[in-house]
Amino acid sequence: MSLSDLKPNTEAIISGINGDARFISRITSIGLTPGCRVTVIKNDKNRPVLMYSRDTMIAVNRRECADIRVSEINA
Amino acid sequence: MSGCEYCDNKSEKGRKNSADKNAATIALLGQPNSGKSTLFNALTGLHQHVGNWPGKTVEQKTGTFTHNGKSYTIADLPGSYSMSANSDEEVITRDFITSDEADIVCILADSSQLERSLFMLADYAGINVPCFLVLNMADVARQQGKQINPQTIEAKLGVPVMLFSAPDTKSYDTFYETLECALRDKPYLNVSTLENEYKNISGYNEIVEILSENDRHGYTPMWLAIKAMEKDKVVLDSLKNTLSLDRFNRVESLSNQSGGAIATGSAKFAWIDGILNGAVNKADVKKSIGKLDRIFTHKFWGKPAVVLTVLIGLIASFIPAMPLMAAGMGIGALKGPVLTGLTAIHCPTFLSSIICDVIIQSMGFVVQMLGFVFGVTLVFGLLEEVGIMARISFVFDNTMGKLGLQGKSVMPFLVSFGCTMGGAAGARVIDNWGQKVLTIALAWAVPCGATWAIVPMLSTTFFGAWAPLLIAVILMIMVLHIWITGKIFSRGLVKAEDRYGMIMELPPYHKPKWGSLMRYVFGRTKDTFFRVTKVILIVCFVFWLISYSGGDAQESFLAKLGMLIEPVTKFFGMPWQLFIAFIASSIGKEGAVGVLSALYSGSGSVIAATSGAAVAANINELLLANIAKPEALAFIIAVTFNMPCIVALAATYQEIHSVKWTALISIYYTITALLLAFAAYHIGLLIW
Ligand SMILES: Nc1nc2c(ncn2[C@@H]2O[C@H](COP(=O)(O)OP(=O)(O)O)[C@@H](O)[C@H]2O)c(=O)[nH]1
Repeated sequence: MSLSDLKPNTEAIISGINGDARFISRITSIGLTPGCRVTVIKNDKNRPVLMYSRDTMIAVNRRECADIRVSEINA
Repeated sequence: MSGCEYCDNKSEKGRKNSADKNAATIALLGQPNSGKSTLFNALTGLHQHVGNWPGKTVEQKTGTFTHNGKSYTIADLPGSYSMSANSDEEVITRDFITSDEADIVCILADSSQLERSLFMLADYAGINVPCFLVLNMADVARQQGKQINPQTIEAKLGVPVMLFSAPDTKSYDTFYETLECALRDKPYLNVSTLENEYKNISGYNEIVEILSENDRHGYTPMWLAIKAMEKDKVVLDSLKNTLSLDRFNRVESLSNQSGGAIATGSAKFAWIDGILNGAVNKADVKKSIGKLDRIFTHKFWGKPAVVLTVLIGLIASFIPAMPLMAAGMGIGALKGPVLTGLTAIHCPTFLSSIICDVIIQSMGFVVQMLGFVFGVTLVFGLLEEVGIMARISFVFDNTMGKLGLQGKSVMPFLVSFGCTMGGAAGARVIDNWGQKVLTIALAWAVPCGATWAIVPMLSTTFFGAWAPLLIAVILMIMVLHIWITGKIFSRGLVKAEDRYGMIMELPPYHKPKWGSLMRYVFGRTKDTFFRVTKVILIVCFVFWLISYSGGDAQESFLAKLGMLIEPVTKFFGMPWQLFIAFIASSIGKEGAVGVLSALYSGSGSVIAATSGAAVAANINELLLANIAKPEALAFIIAVTFNMPCIVALAATYQEIHSVKWTALISIYYTITALLLAFAAYHIGLLIW
């Protein structure tokens, strides 16, 4: 399952990230690394995905969210 | 907290040494929204200089301040969330820090998001330059119920660490103390625990060993090894040049198996966890969005809400800007009395014309423009301070992304419907130079307020009830123009790697800090004044030279030239009078009708008309008697899509700092306006 599949208000743990070196460098520098917890806040079509991670609200483009694998935490 | 256990003697207060011109240079490093600008502005006040990094298109912000009789230079370093070579900004930042120019690096982190924002420190670790750490936003962290113990962090890092609130003027004593102490002791970051984390990454030890014989000034082998594993292009290129081929290949293959930036990033965060362990209590920060964000990020209402907010802000900004604009017009109105005075003392005509039509006129333009710059800078600055700008980026990311731009680029477009110069000044918020130039280049295609002041009038005169149709056509051309111009210009301006989608923080909303905001706005307006005056004076003077006639407008060089090349301009549907009015509209569009009036009625000079001299009372009849419909159509289109005005030109130059691109954009607009006129004229000939 990828980050862009998550519904709003779900929590997940990042399990892997695909992409070229530049993307990975950018995404880790904003705090998204494997093992890190994210809470999706908004996930609308044609908009970046909005999430909370490490106390921070972060927006990530949808296309790139598809390359972030997550496993959902069941509440 | 002051970190003064690092120094034995107290600061040498009051030691004044005038020979000590620059006691130290401080490099300010931190992620976006960590409070860098707030700190920078508070320290330097109006002593700021904005330019370009030598040979680069990245904005350089430096400033000076004095404390205890010593003067310091501080550089606000560009870049984003890390020190990796993802763009020019980060490379400039790295080069500056390790160039020996910086005596100390002040690293900022956000106390309310400490875990994430210490990433910059972790990425810095391994660079061999003394530093200290400022945990900014201490007030926000306190509100969240976080208790941070800087001493614990200090003990682990080996460099001074202080809690800080950049907007709080009272906390600066501690800042200066920490700074002086750090400058005296030159503390280096203790990286041993971080290195232990890195040692767990496969291949790390061997890479470090290979790199340890190969010294690069300012960087430790640890830092280089990590960047090599992260496939940092600049580091890899330099290793390729300095290592033997088989060693380089070995480094590369080890890096490929190491897990790259994911492994190193995880190691950095593991180290950060260790640093924070015991230094911060866990507070539960709520993970939901506020009311305001629910609107701004809404699927349908987001865009209208954002646009409305911006418009209200812009309208409100006219209130403080109004006095300046009125003053500008007041200066313009001085021309009459001054001219009368000069004539009375028998001043030669050309001299009084220079004084009135060039100098006073230019100053009038400049002061009016400052009103706009002031207003736009204030509104945009405010939106950025408060945090709304990040929401605008979010909402328009997809739309503007199609043009190769960031979401924020929508702002200059909105402003350009009012005034292109304001749009150009507002493009300052775009942090990537190429995208900034592209935004301005495209915003020029948006018909500005002055265009809207003359186009409906001209259209109605010539086309009566059909005028609205023409205006609809103009709007359609605008969209097409932006799209095509975007395609043409983006190739040279926006690199493929900058076309990545957004990865950014939406910071929490902050109350505006009026003091520092106003200081910034005034500084910016002052800066604009000095740069722009030069450009406007030069252009006004050149235009005056070619259009000066002493009496009859038809005697000027411009008119003679216009008549000479009329056979050519007729192709574009413009008899010489229209062509000169078109040229004059590059100076200011509102003058185009006045110039026609002067030329067709044979009274008044071109230059006076350009700058808004009165229009003949029978202007409508004059126009109808002299201009055919297809010509009128060509003229209206040409003026609408001509370059906006010299003030916009000057503002563009001020923002992008590039003569080449400013000239390219102007020439492009002049040519496309003529091409569009050509098309309009020939279509007009078919119709009428
Ligand atoms: N409450 C609070 N707000 C701050 C502090 N430092 C900066 N800000 C605000 O945080 C926002 C971002 O700061 P800015 O200096 O623009 O960050 P930069 O992106 O690092 O330059 C602005 O609205 C500042 O007014 C602080 O210590 N406390």
